[in-house]
Amino acid sequence: MRAQKSADLFAPDAPQRTAQAVPLAPVPPHRSAAPAAAPPARCAELWLGVRVLADAEQPHAAQKILPALRRLATLAQRLTPRVALAPPDGLLLEVKGSLHLFGGADGLRGEMDAACAHCGLRGTLALAPTPLAALSAARAGRPLVVLDSAQLIGRLSPLPLTALRWPPGLLDRLACIGVRTIGQALRLPRAGFAHRFGAAQLKDLDRLTGHASDPRERFEGRMRFRRRRELSFELASRTALLGELGPLLGELERFLAARQCGVLTLECRLWHRGRPPSRTVLRLAAPLADAARLAQLLGERLGTLSLPAPVHACELRSGLPVPRGLSSGELWQPGEHGGSAAAGSLELIERLRARLGSEAVHGLACVQDHRPEAAWGATEPGACPGEGSGACRGVASRPLWLLPSPRRLTERGRLPRYRGGLRLASEPERIETGGWDGAEVARDYYIGLDTHGRRLWLFRERNPPHHWYLHGVFG
Amino acid sequence: MRVFCSSFPVSADLSEYGEALPPREDRPQELARLLAHPAIWRAGRAARMPVWPSGFPALDKGLPGGGWPQAGLIEVLPSRLGVGELSLLMPALAAVTRRPGARWCAWVAPVLQPFAPALEACGVVLDRLLIVQAHRSGVRPLSLWAFEQTLGCGACDIAFAWAREPRPRQIRRLHLAAQRGSTLGVLFRSRREAGEASQALLRVAVEPLEGGVRVTLLKSRGGARGPIELKWAAQGKCVEQA
Repeated sequence: MRAQKSADLFAPDAPQRTAQAVPLAPVPPHRSAAPAAAPPARCAELWLGVRVLADAEQPHAAQKILPALRRLATLAQRLTPRVALAPPDGLLLEVKGSLHLFGGADGLRGEMDAACAHCGLRGTLALAPTPLAALSAARAGRPLVVLDSAQLIGRLSPLPLTALRWPPGLLDRLACIGVRTIGQALRLPRAGFAHRFGAAQLKDLDRLTGHASDPRERFEGRMRFRRRRELSFELASRTALLGELGPLLGELERFLAARQCGVLTLECRLWHRGRPPSRTVLRLAAPLADAARLAQLLGERLGTLSLPAPVHACELRSGLPVPRGLSSGELWQPGEHGGSAAAGSLELIERLRARLGSEAVHGLACVQDHRPEAAWGATEPGACPGEGSGACRGVASRPLWLLPSPRRLTERGRLPRYRGGLRLASEPERIETGGWDGAEVARDYYIGLDTHGRRLWLFRERNPPHHWYLHGVFG
Repeated sequence: MRVFCSSFPVSADLSEYGEALPPREDRPQELARLLAHPAIWRAGRAARMPVWPSGFPALDKGLPGGGWPQAGLIEVLPSRLGVGELSLLMPALAAVTRRPGARWCAWVAPVLQPFAPALEACGVVLDRLLIVQAHRSGVRPLSLWAFEQTLGCGACDIAFAWAREPRPRQIRRLHLAAQRGSTLGVLFRSRREAGEASQALLRVAVEPLEGGVRVTLLKSRGGARGPIELKWAAQGKCVEQA
């Protein structure tokens, strides 16, 4: 209950009590031995503070640290949705909820260490119930793990005040009165401290111990993926180009996996020397995040692309990531034992579209219109309303094949001819409509038999000059 | 006894059974059990295979197995484009698309525009149709490539394709792809190419009749010989399914 009492002392409405030289916080004896088994976190929030240092082996590492930190923040979004940047060298993650998902504090630190290594950084990690405490411990180079808010002040006390990054002149003045650690600063009277060293510093101490709220701006990564890669030499072979795109696709896959999203469009640009870049856009039927399948589709696309010159750089730009429905794999192959073909069917459409163009693969739908050329439409495959739409029910016999546009027939004695004489085999069916949109038709349709025994769908214009046209084949 | 084994991945080498054969009095039953395997076709009898009913009882009687095969390539050779070869397949197409859980029914490189109202009037569920305009680029191998992808991916029940002068090697590839994807591939070819060798399961010549078609099985595994005459149903071109 001592911690509860100290919380009262720290309440912002009780500064008058601190005037009587009451210590800012009672300091329990420091316990150095960590508990053997990781206990559950007993705090409202748990923050993982990361202080990164550039790997000294890499050239110009110091300039690259902020981009690397942003990359690290993007990777860290896999561990928790609440990630905040603390420039110039810090990163904060709220991990209370994800602690048990990644094997406790040790597992989480392992994940974060691997992420740091991937970004070419060395990181110091500390876990504490408040963001500033976690960050200060990490900046002091102490890998603290504090899972209980009651222990926070005791564990923070030995840390040097320099970890708070206060102005050097202020730290010198504090050192003059013998205050060098956080614990010593917390023992000072509040009113005097605010008066002599500034209200902002008192606020910092309150945030450090969790007695003042410390909202952190949430890090938002880039919405779209965009990455360019310079090739080490110019390439003209498509296979080699696809190989060079592999790492970019791998990055795209990780980018999408962190967001649990897929892409619907992916643009690939290939840069030539002294010419405008060639670009090709992949459009997908369903959100996709699999690098291998994207590489396969991109390979089909590149196969149809003609390159004017060798390529010296390539770039991938994704469309907006779309949430991807995660599904389980099928036990059965499609078609056997009732295994459904849902996944394979989209894969087929994408592969065909990658090679033939997106408009080359479509579905069919009926449109309620009496004009034959307007009575059907191309749709997205599988998007047509199923059986029972009844759009075309009740029509007289229609041919299975329709000509793209009516074909003018020659005539002899007012009867049509098509590679020989035609015999009319039906009563006329009049279609006269469409006056409202400028595509008015006035036709008499007949079924005709040609010399090869085919049934054709013919019409004669009602308006002069009464030409005959072929419009369909019954097949 | 002549035993033909189709290209199913099963071992049907009868000589291996020489040692393991049971006592003499049990042999007929054992042999009958062995020969009941669907991959074994004994010439002189109709082959057994999973089929889609064609919708014409007279044709079903003549076709090996009683319908169009569910997996494999067949060829339809009409005397002219549009003499009734498509109407011949419409009842089967309609029945397949109306099945619950039906896969795609693809039309690869159709020569003209398939007319949706007529298809729906035949009972075809348009939702399951996939039209692939592969000849748009004017490159012939691309339509065969698209056909092979469609057959081999296992996402289609039926795939129609129109090709001009495919080579026997390409037909063999298509047939293997159709078996891999358990898809019925229907290749429409000109009647003039009937003399060429082909690996297809079934080759069907189609000629027009007044109000129907005359179908001749040029090649089949134990199917009917001689022409089969079919009449369209009175109302339209398609036979209504029960």
